[in-house]
Amino acid sequence: MTLSAAELEILTTSFAVAWRALLWSLPFAIVAGLALSRPQLRGRLVLDGLVHLPVILPPVLVGFLLLLIFGRRGPVGAALAQVGIHLAFTLDGAALATAVMIFPLLVRSSRIAFESADSRLFEAAAVLRAGPLDRFVSVALPLAAPGIVAGAVTAFAAAMGEFGAVITFAANIPGQTQTLPLAIYAVLQQPGGEGEALRLAAMSIAVAMTGLVSADLMLRWARRRFTE
Amino acid sequence: MTLDANIFLRQGRFVLEGHFALPGQITALFGPSGSGKSSLLSVIAGLKRIGRGHVALNGRVLDDSAARIHVPAHRRDVGVVFQDARLFPHMTVAGNIAFAWRRAPAGHRRAIEEVAQFFDIAPLLDRSVRHLSGGEKSRVALARALVAAPELLLLDEPFAALDGTRRRTFIRVLLDMHRTFRLPMLIVVHDIGDVAALAASVIGLQDGRIVAAGPLAETVRATAFRKLLDARDIGAALPAGALRGTNAQNGEHVWLRADNVLLTTQLPRELSARNVVESRIVTLHREVNDAVLVELESPAGFFFARITTDAASELGLVPGRTVWAVVKAHLL
Repeated sequence: MTLSAAELEILTTSFAVAWRALLWSLPFAIVAGLALSRPQLRGRLVLDGLVHLPVILPPVLVGFLLLLIFGRRGPVGAALAQVGIHLAFTLDGAALATAVMIFPLLVRSSRIAFESADSRLFEAAAVLRAGPLDRFVSVALPLAAPGIVAGAVTAFAAAMGEFGAVITFAANIPGQTQTLPLAIYAVLQQPGGEGEALRLAAMSIAVAMTGLVSADLMLRWARRRFTE
Repeated sequence: MTLDANIFLRQGRFVLEGHFALPGQITALFGPSGSGKSSLLSVIAGLKRIGRGHVALNGRVLDDSAARIHVPAHRRDVGVVFQDARLFPHMTVAGNIAFAWRRAPAGHRRAIEEVAQFFDIAPLLDRSVRHLSGGEKSRVALARALVAAPELLLLDEPFAALDGTRRRTFIRVLLDMHRTFRLPMLIVVHDIGDVAALAASVIGLQDGRIVAAGPLAETVRATAFRKLLDARDIGAALPAGALRGTNAQNGEHVWLRADNVLLTTQLPRELSARNVVESRIVTLHREVNDAVLVELESPAGFFFARITTDAASELGLVPGRTVWAVVKAHLL
């Protein structure tokens, strides 16, 4: 199956959105995942609830809330417009909406990764003169890395398919915000678009499967490498 | 090195409480399971925070509840070798040791190769820690702890997983390590024979309380310490030089169990046993099961002999009387 120029553009847009979303979401997700992996953390339940909001809320509502906050008249959006950054109806906006939607996935995987890292090793590092930040960088993060990366790969695949929040906040503009699912939606609106929709669906499934399989392979490799 | 500690720690219904000082030698921490030995190590290492009290190492305050001082584990100059080694699985053997080396104070860095030679792990340096045997893991953990250059090293039953020859070898490594690097140690030890082989002083712990503490030979004489021992293990620590035919070296002790001592009222002749010690009876402790524990004093130190009540009365054993103790030293 060779891709047409339009299909290639859709795929490129999807990758561009997914990459940005992952890069923006991951650092916050690692911090939130680490915080939630601490049983003694105060306000853990509240943080846990906040993190999972995008899973519970309808995606359209997430897009709408983003419009309220980051739209041209929104409090943050207006300030960003002053410095020339526009998010609503742009590729960056599509990435922001996607970043919010994949955030819970990323938090979940990094939290599990931190929880399964043997905390007794942190004590061992502490008595070898490693301070808290040192322990995080040199022990916790490397031990959790395979789990975090595997989670990121899954989240990347999911990011390629994000629909409701993206179309609400960033609209469906070919070449800018039209990702794979948005393109499928667009061709289905036209009479006789089923054939093209099937081709796009096949691309979508291929991307998702590649992501899931590589995440699984990565976890297996890490398990072999790190379990004593 | 001196460690001075006065601690009170409550964990649920368990209370750990006591005052003790550590000299700069090897001290054994001895007591039954659940007596608080590991908790005590955690407190000294700074991994657990005390409720009340103070801890000072070489005059530097590490904990002072009244002044709200708690120096965190990574700033205490106290090293720990855990029972389960706790090597970092994402690093090689060399990586684990280098982790400690990079964080050691600049003036106290020891060459990794030399330390590896000392612990006989030089051929393992490039290996992953996952495929090491139990004994190899323990030695890597010792090397790593040493390279961190602590002022005091705590060891939580480091040879619990080893048996027989490997256990004796490991004890020898610990003694050599102590002598070569002049590193004071506090070691949790389960076996009283190992206590005698290793330690110059001992702390006896029961139900979170220190029941006896001080130099080995005197401390184990205390009735409170004797209560920590299994009946078969009751005995005394004698200096290695006092008996012939033991494996112990100068400066070390051997544990002489009361059951390994025979008493005669006359100097025996033509006897296979190589050790016959002239001693004086101090007291007789009546035990259950028709046994008598005879406390004896000799130029080599005090020790016990366990005999039957009948034997005690037939031989006419009374305090002050001189007897000859026969010891089969190769049992030790």
